[in-house]
Amino acid sequence: MMAIALARQIKDGMTCIIGTGLPLIGAALAKNTTAPNAVLIFETGMIDGAPQEVPTSVSDLRIAYKASALWPQYRYFGFESNAWKKNKIDLGFLGGAQIDPYGNLNSTCIGDYHHPKTRFTGSGGANGIATYVNTVIMMQHQKRRFCEKVDYITSPGWIDGPDGRKKMGLPEVGPQAVVTELGIMRFDEKTRRMYLAEYFPGITPQQIQENTGFELDLSRAVEAEPPSKEILEILTKKVDPQRLMI
Amino acid sequence: MNLPNKVMTLEEAISKYVHDGDTIAFGGFVTNKKPYAAVREIIRQGKKNLYVEGGPAGGDVDMLIGAGCVKVLFNSYMANSGYTQVSRRFRKAIEEGTILWEDYSLDIQPILYHAAALGFPFIAVKNMLGSDLVNKWGIPEEVWQNDPKLPPRKLIVDRNPFNPDEQVCLLPTPKIDVAIIHVQKAAPDGTARIEGPVFVDIDIAMGATNCIITCEELVHPDELRREPWLNQIPNLVPDAVVHVPFGAHPSQCTNYYDYDGLFFRMYDQVSGDDELFKQFLDEWVYGIKDQNEYIDKLGASRLTNLRVRPGYGYVPGLKRR
Repeated sequence: MMAIALARQIKDGMTCIIGTGLPLIGAALAKNTTAPNAVLIFETGMIDGAPQEVPTSVSDLRIAYKASALWPQYRYFGFESNAWKKNKIDLGFLGGAQIDPYGNLNSTCIGDYHHPKTRFTGSGGANGIATYVNTVIMMQHQKRRFCEKVDYITSPGWIDGPDGRKKMGLPEVGPQAVVTELGIMRFDEKTRRMYLAEYFPGITPQQIQENTGFELDLSRAVEAEPPSKEILEILTKKVDPQRLMI
Repeated sequence: MNLPNKVMTLEEAISKYVHDGDTIAFGGFVTNKKPYAAVREIIRQGKKNLYVEGGPAGGDVDMLIGAGCVKVLFNSYMANSGYTQVSRRFRKAIEEGTILWEDYSLDIQPILYHAAALGFPFIAVKNMLGSDLVNKWGIPEEVWQNDPKLPPRKLIVDRNPFNPDEQVCLLPTPKIDVAIIHVQKAAPDGTARIEGPVFVDIDIAMGATNCIITCEELVHPDELRREPWLNQIPNLVPDAVVHVPFGAHPSQCTNYYDYDGLFFRMYDQVSGDDELFKQFLDEWVYGIKDQNEYIDKLGASRLTNLRVRPGYGYVPGLKRR
């Protein structure tokens, strides 16, 4: 459902930066179904490829298939950092281990930074994506992951509210949605705090609140449209038949 | 033309150019074109106290950490994506505090290497502002100040001198002693051609004091000089050229082979356990003399199955799990 919800965020013709993990499969699904003309960009510098098989990483040559260009990585950086002024990139997709009500994301460590209980990969391209483009975040929906304060801010969201990014010198873009296995959260236009926008079939808004470590506004929540059989079939038979990512 | 001959064995190249305490940068990206043969040779030679510019690292740097070769890691990401979510020796070393490390954004390391290639003293970016990549330093401040291998600070957040309303993050350019990259074709004089994505390879090769190139094919210089616009590295840059077929296995190499998912799976299992990892090093690194023995151990049918299908650039339907 997460992969499908993610694929739904990619509209045909959109230009998106895709990060490692679940975003790879959502992007491959979108490309094979509802958004064949979406342009996919990767931090490896591979631009506008047409993956026919699910890639396992952003450097997998499966995403170089029919690509428009394979840039050195610094070219990707240049394109990304100028894109927000030119509106060239619609969305970036990120994953993470912890998130706070303002969409600040942790993909570095749990516990003290110098003596972590659990250490993760590090930023990857996530910090750069969060700096320069509007983002959609993929998370597992658990209380310990949705917390009032994250242990380490790897990728800035709305920082501490409406003026947070400006104060830090960051471009005026930010997280647009958080997609989990339970539903989709968005951010209030004024306060920039997270609220529940959609819950998936079979899930109640109360269940989502119970799995969230901070107070979530449930008043605007609606039930999400269930996935069609056709989409599920494409996902399991065509996009990832070897179950590499799902 | 009387061209120089820079061809040597991997053993010679590593012993000549990689020294204990050096800063090393590796080419490739996570599971693509990682110079694994050179990494195994560094481990075999027991190099110590290395400062490693991880860039987008995977099992290559994870093996070096596990073998005890690394003192400091400059990290932005480390995993065999799709197989090991977080490199396991890396993770253990940080959780137990046995190495020093510093975290950067994966956009920033390529820019730092590009700056090194251009001879810039520092870069000014917006990345990392508003995040703990700025606020929390992995290497203690006194180490930054006192270690002659390091600049005095990780970074400085300051006003843009040309626009005081704007905040910028200033980062010093790394001083790389040796860059190691794997390419598809190289000539004995050092001219090299990378096919497929180049990632950070050209920049680290240019930014480093010394550069070792390992190659799939060692070709006649005329072969590469007929179409020089397809070459990224001129003969002046590398110091050593080493012929190492399948030198990036188990990672991918454009036009040559796909990644070996079954090997990555095996590495995922062994790298999660101290004893198994030790056995892995004994079997796949210390117990092997050179790349020819490594290839023999893998076997012809295994490597043949990884040969990319022309027109695809990968092996369609490859058993990856």
